[in-house]
Amino acid sequence: MEIFFQSLISGILIGGVYALIGIGLTIIFGVMRVINFAHGELLMLGMYATYFLHAVFHIDPFVSIVITIPLMFLYGAILQKIFINRILDALPQNQILLTIGLGLIMSNAVMLAFTSDYKILTTTYSSSSVTLFGISLSTPLMISFAITAVITAALYWFLLKTDTGQAIRATAQDREAARLMGINVKRMSIIAFGLGSALAATAGALISPTYYIFPQVGSAFTLKAFVITVLGGMGSVVGATLGGVLIGVAESTGGVYFGSGWKEVVVFVLFLLVLLFKPAGLFGKSRT
Amino acid sequence: MRRFLVSLTLICLLVTPAFAAKVKIGFVNSMTGPEAPIGENLTNGVTLALEDLKKKGIDVDLIKEDDTGKPEKSMAAFEKMATRDKVAGVVGPYSSKCANAIAKLSEKYKIPLLIPVASKDEITKQNLKWVFRLSATTYDYATILLDMATSLGKPKTMAIINENTDFGTSGAKSANLYAAKKGITIVAEESYAPGSPDYRSTLASIKSKNPDLVFMVSYVADSILLMRQSREIGLSPQAFLGAGAGFATQAFAKEQDISNNIFSSTQWTGDVNWPGAKDFAARYRTRFGKEPTYHAATAYESMMIMGQTASQAKSDPKRTRDLLKSGKWNGIMGEVKFLDYLGYTNQNRHQMLVEQIQGGVHETIYPPKYVSKKPVYPFPGWTK
Repeated sequence: MEIFFQSLISGILIGGVYALIGIGLTIIFGVMRVINFAHGELLMLGMYATYFLHAVFHIDPFVSIVITIPLMFLYGAILQKIFINRILDALPQNQILLTIGLGLIMSNAVMLAFTSDYKILTTTYSSSSVTLFGISLSTPLMISFAITAVITAALYWFLLKTDTGQAIRATAQDREAARLMGINVKRMSIIAFGLGSALAATAGALISPTYYIFPQVGSAFTLKAFVITVLGGMGSVVGATLGGVLIGVAESTGGVYFGSGWKEVVVFVLFLLVLLFKPAGLFGKSRT
Repeated sequence: MRRFLVSLTLICLLVTPAFAAKVKIGFVNSMTGPEAPIGENLTNGVTLALEDLKKKGIDVDLIKEDDTGKPEKSMAAFEKMATRDKVAGVVGPYSSKCANAIAKLSEKYKIPLLIPVASKDEITKQNLKWVFRLSATTYDYATILLDMATSLGKPKTMAIINENTDFGTSGAKSANLYAAKKGITIVAEESYAPGSPDYRSTLASIKSKNPDLVFMVSYVADSILLMRQSREIGLSPQAFLGAGAGFATQAFAKEQDISNNIFSSTQWTGDVNWPGAKDFAARYRTRFGKEPTYHAATAYESMMIMGQTASQAKSDPKRTRDLLKSGKWNGIMGEVKFLDYLGYTNQNRHQMLVEQIQGGVHETIYPPKYVSKKPVYPFPGWTK
């Protein structure tokens, strides 16, 4: 029983970070109907930013998100304005090619600049934990989960209560109608992409103290983000939040009860089941 | 006149290579990709070997190919070297999955392949006549570690955690086999896909089985991740046994919070008394500013052997193979001879060593003949 709770809790904690990755992707998709296949690479850039802020300026990785978030928001906004904006009305496969291309350029540029060496970010608390009722809770994971919760809450408030947030949601619901209502759809797209990349980079920053950093780290997370987003329903923020946690828990408990080699299988079987019975995802509205 | 000059130049061009007597040798390695940090050691080792060969009057024309850690890329590289570059022999590649993939190609194209360090047991067990291996095999990794553990304590149970790659699976299989011989029960066996950020649940379920030994087969970064999370979970057996690779790297040793008192099997250490080993280590340090790993030493020695043999054979692949088969060397890796024994073909019977990380440094602790520091056993537990 202890093992069950142990795996459940580590799953939820890591799932929080997954959720953050998924939310970023889902916002971008919601507003622009573009699947951002460079999402993992944005996360990778966030990791490198965190690593260098720590190595050069000795800024704690969790504090450094104050710098990483605006930086990556700006970067995402510029990417949208220069590249993504031009292909909004293009064929979906062309959109995919563009984002994959951007991702390749990012990871290879980083490889050229910093080599493919693994960077390990070590903090005093990198391997510390708190034991509660026989369950060990990883300190860095708990901190990152708390930060994730705060950011997600802030994001919900932003989307529900502010004018800009409502405009973003309106754009996601119906681009044409939003434009007719006088919403600056172009600006909303820029903000959405900026938000998405800032969220991905934050997720990168939050896992840096417990993970390792290398230029190709992104691809695994792009796939994960995609699964989370589809599972939760494309474009649904609530869905992505829940999807992230669900995937985290499935991986973690699957690893215990089916063997760690099988945990990917558990995740993808779950994914297939959801698609089979609810093709639009858990919180998706089918668009027919 | 002009025609005369042109033909003269052409003749010169054609004749010059024959005078220089360069030996063309191929080198496949993981220069980029996830295994690149280890690949770098091999490249450095080869660089030093080329310098030493030059001193001996052997000029090597090295054809370098990057396999990015992918078997299909190393196969393409080997085919190019065999058909277009016409090399006398090939050294490499780094990882077991790549080495295993090109072993059969070496047989097909009849170009000798000298594998410096890829240790998957089965590679030299396929009766391949053109494939040679300098390093010991994963079976030796397991034997030396368990011999060490049983000589220091009385472990009864063991858990195995391994990466689900060629090297990892082969390592786990060997550990399983040898543990049975030593009367040690395997209580848990977990293979994982590399790159996951969370192994906590797996480690927790291993902890609940309370094994005396934990045997791990992992590459660079996962070894650090696994140990960090073992510390979090509070997994604390009599000994952590790391089967080389990630556990033998400097990056791992530097993480003192989690690396101290961990054992690792190794093919070579900088303080071993094989001829030239200490000099090699010192030279490597001043040249590259890092500690050499066993990968560097095996790559150096492989290139030395291949360079000398190919030059002796006048770059003829067939003769190079025959000379590799009959030759004998004694260098920084100790005595080298490619033998057929216990189902192996052209396998060097290499003496493995066990190191333990003490104060952030790898110290040789087994076998007794090569000891540099006293081992710490059992594991004293995690410091909070």
